Amino acid sequence: MPHRSFHASRPFLLLGLLLAGWLLVPTLVKRVLGISFFELQAPVSVAASHVRDLQDFWSLRTRTRHDLIAAGRDLARLNASYEVTLQQTETLRREVARLEALLRIPTLPGYRSEPARVARRDFNAWWQRLTIRKGRNYGITVGSPVIFSGGVVGKVAEVHAYTAVVDLISSPTLRIAATLEGDSRPLSFQGGNNPAFGPARGIVDYVPTDASASEVMPRRIVTSGLGGVFPAGLFIGEITRLETSTDGLFKTGEVRLDSRLAELAEVTVLVPERAD
Amino acid sequence: MRRTIVFFFTQFLLWGLVSQVNHELTPWGIALFMGGLFVGFSALHFERREALIGAFAAGFLHDVGTPLPFGTHAVVFATAVIFIQHVRHRLNRHEGLITVMVILIANLGLFLAVSAVAVRLLPDAGGLTSRVFSDLIASQLTLALVAPWFLALQAKALEIAGVAAPAEPGPRSYP
Repeated sequence: MPHRSFHASRPFLLLGLLLAGWLLVPTLVKRVLGISFFELQAPVSVAASHVRDLQDFWSLRTRTRHDLIAAGRDLARLNASYEVTLQQTETLRREVARLEALLRIPTLPGYRSEPARVARRDFNAWWQRLTIRKGRNYGITVGSPVIFSGGVVGKVAEVHAYTAVVDLISSPTLRIAATLEGDSRPLSFQGGNNPAFGPARGIVDYVPTDASASEVMPRRIVTSGLGGVFPAGLFIGEITRLETSTDGLFKTGEVRLDSRLAELAEVTVLVPERAD
Repeated sequence: MRRTIVFFFTQFLLWGLVSQVNHELTPWGIALFMGGLFVGFSALHFERREALIGAFAAGFLHDVGTPLPFGTHAVVFATAVIFIQHVRHRLNRHEGLITVMVILIANLGLFLAVSAVAVRLLPDAGGLTSRVFSDLIASQLTLALVAPWFLALQAKALEIAGVAAPAEPGPRSYP
């Protein structure tokens, strides 16, 4: 009888040994394994995204010439307005440089914009991540902010040979220092609940008690620039609900994020420029 | 060894398909989890060593690019293999329906186990019950639909490579 019970429990003994063995495996070995498996997967994701791009290309080829002329006209208008914005930006940049020199304050950190196509979106209840088609080969660094036309996308979490993984702002693993638009007091934003069949949402903490927001009168929040990762003033989302926290010192609330985050096909990585 | 490589190739194919489906599903706020399908066939038909190698390989495929500690999926998948192999002698594992049922139950267990680890990432997991539930329902329904096809594909791939799963041994007997 004891022999039989030992025989029956042998698989679980093996399982225990396996678990203990895995805990004892050196971190270096785990890291090498992780990198190897990621680089094994990367060509599949990248090839699939190239196929999607090709599908888009051929679907656009079916458009009529009239559609193309209309699109070209709209693009020309957009370019004209961007030209004006570029000139204004340049004027402001010079003004900032002049004031920095005058007041002898340190120069704000600069960023190099690196547009990248999205190879894979991996969103589930627990995390929201993107794999982009640029990595170490384009000088992307861990922690670089990632943006799109609608504001903040997230932060680079992992960099590989020619891909990088981005943690989205809707991911609970990401925390950002933010402020209410038009206010300088800092608050904390964290990704959070991502309901099914709806846009992702975030959580906001340490909101001043005099602030208010509701579904009908939402308050926009932007990056504060504190922490040195994200430049100040980038749009994050809109606070749609605020309530006093349990300690009564601040308010906490819910943030509605841009629904386009779930369909991103292209993003821009802001690679910090080195001081030297 | 050749069987392990061919089996890994089928797992890699499944991983590629599932990741592409999940990519397309993001606007709907639904994600599929097919862990049971990665371990089901090997746990029911392979020897323990081969099945565990398959489970670890599939687990590593799932682990990379996630915020979970590397090896989480691998260990959970290996646990599922041990459990399935412990009971497989009582099942008619060459019966398609039984195999699909085992895979569905394994997938449920794996989903809950991974969720239990991932819940630590969330500041407030209470509001996520509906999302987790809808992901689980979608995953189980999809799994029930694709499992027969994928099991047939795995069996055929092994057969073409000349390394088909060994014939079923007789019921386990104890001295």
